[in-house]
Amino acid sequence: MDKFQEAFDEIIEKDLKVEPRDWMPEEYRKTLIRQVSQHAHSEVIGMQPEGNWLLRAPSLRAKQVLLAKIQDEAGHGLYLYSVAETLGISRAETIEQLHQGKAKYSSIFNYPTLTWADIGAVGWLVDGAAIINQVSLQRTSYGPYSRAMVKICKEESFHQRQGYEIMCQMAFGTPEQKEMAQDALNRFWEPSLMMFGPHDADSVHKGQSMAWKIKRESNDHLRQRFIDRTVAQAEYLGLTIPDPNLKFNEETGHYETSPFNWDEFWNVVKGNGPCNTQRLDHHKRAHENGAWVREAAAAYAAKTENKVA
Amino acid sequence: MKITIENKEAKFLLRIADTALILGQRVAELCSNGPFLEEDIAQSNISLDLFGRAEELYKIIAKIEGDKYTADDYVFHRNEREYFNLKLVEQPNEDFAWTIARQYMHDVYVQEVFSQFQSSSNEELAGLSAKVLKEIRYSYLHSKDWMMRLGLGTEESHRRLQDAVSHLRKFVEEIFNWDELDREYYQDCDKIKSNWESEVNATLDACNITREDIPSQSMRDYRDGFHSEHIGHLLSIMQYLPRAYPDAKW
Repeated sequence: MDKFQEAFDEIIEKDLKVEPRDWMPEEYRKTLIRQVSQHAHSEVIGMQPEGNWLLRAPSLRAKQVLLAKIQDEAGHGLYLYSVAETLGISRAETIEQLHQGKAKYSSIFNYPTLTWADIGAVGWLVDGAAIINQVSLQRTSYGPYSRAMVKICKEESFHQRQGYEIMCQMAFGTPEQKEMAQDALNRFWEPSLMMFGPHDADSVHKGQSMAWKIKRESNDHLRQRFIDRTVAQAEYLGLTIPDPNLKFNEETGHYETSPFNWDEFWNVVKGNGPCNTQRLDHHKRAHENGAWVREAAAAYAAKTENKVA
Repeated sequence: MKITIENKEAKFLLRIADTALILGQRVAELCSNGPFLEEDIAQSNISLDLFGRAEELYKIIAKIEGDKYTADDYVFHRNEREYFNLKLVEQPNEDFAWTIARQYMHDVYVQEVFSQFQSSSNEELAGLSAKVLKEIRYSYLHSKDWMMRLGLGTEESHRRLQDAVSHLRKFVEEIFNWDELDREYYQDCDKIKSNWESEVNATLDACNITREDIPSQSMRDYRDGFHSEHIGHLLSIMQYLPRAYPDAKW
């Protein structure tokens, strides 16, 4: 074994952080680029389903909180594209891969936000699931990714509270509002659980990612934590978890659920969900419409830099 | 709910509040549609400042009016003819050049407006102005920088900015058609106009944008609740939920 590999192994072994200038196995780098760029794209594509209600937010407060939240997601996208850059891939390349369908984003954002209650459900469930995953990733072995997660987690917990606040308003509001809240929970419950990815037994990348400490806890482990936490929150709201088989197992201390619809999950991942085409087209359109603006900024910078020189 | 406004100062401030709100709503349309991520974030900031400013102004108006209505009532329960924003700010985001030209012309105007409010006898308004001027300064620098980049960047960006400015300048004339309320609550109306013109003209010259002569417009005054057709669509989107569910609390 060469000395570079030995140094890398020692960093992982001792739970230290791998930094951009450290030697790392090519596969470690590739795995991280895939995961970090997918994470960055998720933040940015995730702006769309929430942006769908931004102009229709029902109070000045709701409008400002939602806009600030979506702005945070854009900021998270920025950190994460920067993390990917430290691994040797530019933002332009990363975006190109997204547009070509080579890079994925979290499948949850391919579901539509049909009512205002969905904005509550997205904050409560989708951000709630994301936090559990991201808290775990604060201990990931790649330094820049780990530090980005620390900052992102602080903002995400505010997002989840924003979502839960909307759910409270809806669930304790008029009968129509409560109905919207239940409907949102019905539609987002299972897709949120599937955000944690396939069961451990079926997870392709799990073994090596865990060994490299990129991933610190397994999909099923994180998912269970989310379920256990969320059931009580739904009870407080007086809403029903849309799973007739949901039950608390006294022995394990955990909730058990029905099997998930993995056929739907994989079909949406493959591009056949309700909004896959719409989301990608929106991103491409904004990017293409902005091309002349980026060119103008670059041309102006070149002209004024020459003047100074 | 039929909202009426009795007090003269409240009527006057409603123009300023509505202008901030409607522009905030327009700028919010940029969210997830910006030309690149950093600019997307910047536009969200500008929009947030405008919403925050509008909210504070509506609260001042509500107080003057004896708290008959809340800030949200003013926003969500008035119709087209009951809105008193500048027509300039309801104009659409045809492209990024429109967004920038609209913002720049607005920023220079409100910089003058809030500078004069600093010495208002209404203490809350004077206090708010000090905070608002800092935000306007940021937005002004941002929009002015983009005027330069677009005007002097590429042929295409220059052409687009020229088109935007030529269209939007038609909505400037009404800003300076002062009425009695303006003369009562501004210290110096003429100064607003002369400062606006010298600043904007200098920038347009610097970024190589020509100012064609615009004939006097017969589009009727925003102070009387006249608008372009864009306002109705903007309000119908913005007000949808409180209108559709009048009993709901949000």
